[in-house]
Amino acid sequence: MTATQDQAAQDQTKGRLIRGGGFLIQESAPQDIYTPEDFDDTLRQIADTTETFVDREIMPVITDLENKKEGLNRALLQKAGELGLTAVEIPEEYDGLDLPKAASVIIAEKTSKAGGFGVTYGAHQSIGSLPTVYFGTPEQKAKYLPKLATAEMIAAYCLTEPSSGSDAQAAKTTAVLSEDGTHYVLNGSKMWISNGGIADLFTVFAQLKTPEGNKFSAFLVERAFEGVSTGAEEHKMGIRSSSTVVLRLDGVKVPVENLLGGVGAGAKIAFNILNVGRYKLGAGGVGGAKDALELSTKYALEREQFGQPIANFGAVQEKLANIAVRTYAVESALYRIVGLIDAAIAGGTDKLKAIEEYAVEASIIKVLGSELLDYAVDEGVQIHGGVGYSQEYAIERAYRDARINRIFEGTNEINRLLIPSMLLKRAMKGELPLMQAAQKLQAELLEFSFDEDDTETPLAHEAKVIANLKKLGLLVAGAAAMKYGPQIESRQEILMRVADIAMLAFASESALLRTRKLGSPELQVEMTQVYTYEAAEKAATLAREALGMIAEGDDLRVMLSAVKRFTKHDAVNTIRLRRHVTKAVLESRGYPAPRARA
Amino acid sequence: MKILTLIRQVPDAEARVRVTNGAVDLEGATLVMDGMDEYGVEQALRLREGGADAEIVALAVGPRRNEDALRTALAMGADRAVHVETDAVLDPISLSKVVARIAQTEGIDLVLVGGQQADWDSQALGAATAERLGWPQLTWTNGLQVQDGALTGRHDVDEGNETFTATLPAVVTTQQGLNEPRYPTLPNIMKAKKKELRKDTLDQYGVTPLVRVVGAEIQARARMNRVIDGKDPQAAAAQLLELLRNEAKVIA
Ligand SMILES: Cc1cc2nc3c(=O)[nH]c(=O)nc-3n(C[C@H](O)[C@H](O)[C@H](O)COP(=O)(O)OP(=O)(O)OC[C@H]3O[C@@H](n4cnc5c(N)ncnc54)[C@H](O)[C@@H]3O)c2cc1C
Repeated sequence: MTATQDQAAQDQTKGRLIRGGGFLIQESAPQDIYTPEDFDDTLRQIADTTETFVDREIMPVITDLENKKEGLNRALLQKAGELGLTAVEIPEEYDGLDLPKAASVIIAEKTSKAGGFGVTYGAHQSIGSLPTVYFGTPEQKAKYLPKLATAEMIAAYCLTEPSSGSDAQAAKTTAVLSEDGTHYVLNGSKMWISNGGIADLFTVFAQLKTPEGNKFSAFLVERAFEGVSTGAEEHKMGIRSSSTVVLRLDGVKVPVENLLGGVGAGAKIAFNILNVGRYKLGAGGVGGAKDALELSTKYALEREQFGQPIANFGAVQEKLANIAVRTYAVESALYRIVGLIDAAIAGGTDKLKAIEEYAVEASIIKVLGSELLDYAVDEGVQIHGGVGYSQEYAIERAYRDARINRIFEGTNEINRLLIPSMLLKRAMKGELPLMQAAQKLQAELLEFSFDEDDTETPLAHEAKVIANLKKLGLLVAGAAAMKYGPQIESRQEILMRVADIAMLAFASESALLRTRKLGSPELQVEMTQVYTYEAAEKAATLAREALGMIAEGDDLRVMLSAVKRFTKHDAVNTIRLRRHVTKAVLESRGYPAPRARA
Repeated sequence: MKILTLIRQVPDAEARVRVTNGAVDLEGATLVMDGMDEYGVEQALRLREGGADAEIVALAVGPRRNEDALRTALAMGADRAVHVETDAVLDPISLSKVVARIAQTEGIDLVLVGGQQADWDSQALGAATAERLGWPQLTWTNGLQVQDGALTGRHDVDEGNETFTATLPAVVTTQQGLNEPRYPTLPNIMKAKKKELRKDTLDQYGVTPLVRVVGAEIQARARMNRVIDGKDPQAAAAQLLELLRNEAKVIA
């Protein structure tokens, strides 16, 4: 626990720390946010060990791994187990390490360059083991957790079915209690099961038949149970080293003591575990983007055309700068959230509750991280030119491996829809005064604003732009809620845009707060500026499109002038700023990480 | 027996370093344990795992950030650490005074130091320490065992190798090939947090640097940017051969 986290824990108990979703209507101070520069020496060592493990044990055999060499995947996961990497979130009484969430996120970030192996690791450590960690009975934990902690037993999470993906609760797999009441009988099949081919323990979600109807529930199913079988490996676009198969359950007798979390706990388990999976997936996106940036920077410095390194060309430079800027913003958002979760836990909040509190942010991180990664690998291939299309180069695999991240752990569409819908739910429950804020905004729209620009504080102008971005989000959401009421759910195009504006505001604010916490060094100030101005421009378009559907005539005119006001910003030379960023990227041969304060 | 293993922190060879105001900018650099010293820590651990009843003490002399390197040594398995904290940059001869003193006060039997510093290339530390203590020094070691209070080992040279024995106490300098250092496991990282890390000041040793670094520059590697026109492959190949032979002198 770092000093910052301790402080944050105190703030949290005092109610000073921002609540889930609260970023949209509240301001945070730089000292309230957790950043990678706040890692203590333990976390830095964990990062180093993970990095060394990946570089020494995984990367040299990556081709064999990708070609699914028999037994290699399991052996390497167990090697990770020997290092303790699979024990990080398991309680100490079950031979785990029970480390802060920041540790698990750093590991997710550092394993992602191994592509498929990162998924193997995450499917085991995260979505595979955590259902038992958080919902298991003491007996279930004692039986399985020590073995999961070492990866002697490998886990998988089985929610998706051939006919139910996004609509996970429509699963058709059934569970029926046996007449003698000693076991459940499971029938059905699960699809796309990561680690399915190598797993020993499956968390299976199924419809439990009861006299009161179907109760969606979860079961711990061992491979050794009769009637469990897995299909052939899928032929995938990427993450080929990760095992993905169909799991078949054919009259499998599961002892009653293997029901997880009680009758009907399925949805609660499924979605809480996905929350964790989501911010870690975002962490993988940040790690992967850094890797893509490093590969691309090195290549750009080596490759010569027209008598000079292609890194000299503005068109190439701009791509490097954009990857760096976005990585900085998403990384800032990621660790800000992890810090809040850890602070809540340190302040005495139940782990699961702490994670659930920031479910909106977990979805944001999932979308931001996966789209950052896809952007980085796509431009990475472009910078590599023809060789980027060749399997000889690491960027080719990175490009294929990245794509899955926008699909699993809830597609990015589903996560985008969740953002406004969860915010609204929190508002309805009185956990978040969104309505009040929206009303206040309505009043503000009718007033003239005389706010003066603060020219002293670094990034003062950007701070105002960001505050306005939040208002813009509220404006669109409020107008939509007023016009459509509950029918808003069927106006997905609007909800997606609200989500995008909220994400842009959250990421820019996170970058800004981190930069200020760092003492506003020039490079980070520039990166924050580029991100914020880009965000304001994108948000303006998104808001205009959404409002164009919501309102018309004079109403629309009033709103459009509000959009103009809320996305107004000084003229800036972002091209010059990007050139500066590129200089730093070239100098560091990759992501220019800020210096930690001494 | 007691083993003292000296650790220096140096810039990561894979990261880029910058020079600001005539000195290498260590504040902004990625710093790691000197690879040569890491062999020493690893060998100490292996001697113990091989049956020697040894206490392993890791020592660093330098600024506050050296603590990171000491924590790594503790996480690898060293029993305790001593940090002589100072912002002064010590030349090997001055440094050897601290090492020798600690070897004496701690009752050390075996001192392990890197054969050559990764940053300033000096090989003097082992020799200077041995000289101060009046102990035998065994350099560039590729293999090392302890048996009944005696050391046996090997050192490789280009044309072959020699094996040696020596009695303890002794100073041994390490080199690449001695072992492959482990990296700390997470449980050991957590355990290391509870191990003793003693802080001393340089004053306690009455040492002041004998050499002061007054400037540093990074060599700029300029390219010749010569492009051979490839329209006529035969002529291009001939020209390339000519250049490699007579200008670069890399082929005969
Ligand atoms: C390599 C791989 C590994 C996986 N690992 C696992 C695992 O370990 N365990 C597990 O349980 N699952 C796993 N999955 C399944 C994954 O979570 C699902 O593929 C994902 O949830 C999407 O479901 P689907 O494929 O059925 O797509 P669909 O749900 O059919 O979606 C198709 C498209 O329609 C959109 N869509 C669907 N519903 C809506 C809606 N209401 N509104 C707007 N748009 C909508 C989606 O966004 C998507 O673009 C894995 C998948 C893959 C490919």
